[in-house]
Amino acid sequence: MVKVAVSGINAVDNPGPGLGIIKGLREGKTPVSVVGLAYDAMEPGIYLTDLIERAYLLPYPSEGEAPFLNRLLYIKEREGLEVVIPALDAELPLFIDLEPRLSAYGLKTFLPTQKQFKLRAKDHLPIVAEAIGIKTPNTLAVTSYEEFTRALSQLKFPVMVKGLFYKALRAYTQAEAQQHFQAIVAEWGYPVIVQEVVEGEEMNVVGVGDGEGGHFGLLAIKKLWITSLGKIWTGVTVTHPGLLTAAENFVRHFRWRGAFELETIVSGDEIYLIEINPRFPAWIYFAVGVGINLPERLLKAALGEEPERDWDYPAGKLYIRFTDDRVTDLEVFQHMVTRGER
Amino acid sequence: MKLNRLAISEEGFIFDPETGNSYTVNETGLLILKKLREGLGPEEIAEAMSEEYEVSPEEALRDVQDFLETIARFGLWEEKAWLK
Repeated sequence: MVKVAVSGINAVDNPGPGLGIIKGLREGKTPVSVVGLAYDAMEPGIYLTDLIERAYLLPYPSEGEAPFLNRLLYIKEREGLEVVIPALDAELPLFIDLEPRLSAYGLKTFLPTQKQFKLRAKDHLPIVAEAIGIKTPNTLAVTSYEEFTRALSQLKFPVMVKGLFYKALRAYTQAEAQQHFQAIVAEWGYPVIVQEVVEGEEMNVVGVGDGEGGHFGLLAIKKLWITSLGKIWTGVTVTHPGLLTAAENFVRHFRWRGAFELETIVSGDEIYLIEINPRFPAWIYFAVGVGINLPERLLKAALGEEPERDWDYPAGKLYIRFTDDRVTDLEVFQHMVTRGER
Repeated sequence: MKLNRLAISEEGFIFDPETGNSYTVNETGLLILKKLREGLGPEEIAEAMSEEYEVSPEEALRDVQDFLETIARFGLWEEKAWLK
């Protein structure tokens, strides 16, 4: 029985990947006992005792390295934890920095390097896209209002106004773009990314790189139905050869290690890279459901075992997300609030 | 040719495995798609249709051309693909 901790168990309207990862681990051949890592006592995963045996609150990464490491080591001691699979962008830099120390304490991970993690910054996308043989929409990074207005005169509307790591707002007019610009500067600071909108099919690829240029499987999907937050609600598997080749180029060129998701727009024969996520997406269970259990393969890689590498999957498999309800006692919430664990 | 990669069901449900798009066609559309995949040109397909549905070859050809225009708009058909 492998004791594995997974974060991102916030299965809300902007869901974290945790529950999908956990469902994959539970469907795998390696028996697991799952510890859920949460940042808020209200995260739904805490209450799903059939998926998550034990749950703990973590301090926010912004509180610094020491409290975070201490908490992880406390959980490791209490639970006999062997592996951690972090799933949220905000905590990943910390986990990556802590990796050697966690490993010294016997806590295994399978993460990208700090250098690989930095590739996800949106001002790096053109370099990545060029290296893997695809395109990016016309993009400018600006660090002042003057640069922003100059950028707008060089780009065609509609444009996306984006923070370096988070948030993307669409603007059809100069006035709308300026409004978005102010909002993003206020929330995320500079640089702000201004990007032309490319019309086409939104397709994403998920995979796990082996860190040596190969991978433990890929899956490409198209979002068919999204929520008002842009989150997938229904999707379908696709076998777009150009997109899958680009993903293979990505793991080979950057020797990517760990989970990743490439978000693209496919317009005819052109593929545009929109975003790189250095972790599993929230729809990761889709891969499990079509027979490519990427969470289990990542777990094996973390344990130093050799995961499967086959990734034949049929196009036309459908993914359906749905809402669900659960009723439980206040006690669980009480424990999370008072003790930070259950 | 893009048409060859399509999954076409007998019910007229069409799925494109590369783009993830799906479409529905009626019986006539299904017949045209099948004939296109067999390598027939618009005139030959119109002929087959006029035999099947008791319409004049001219009328059938107009319908075929309309249909081809539609699927060309969806990127499933290129006119030059069969203009030899």
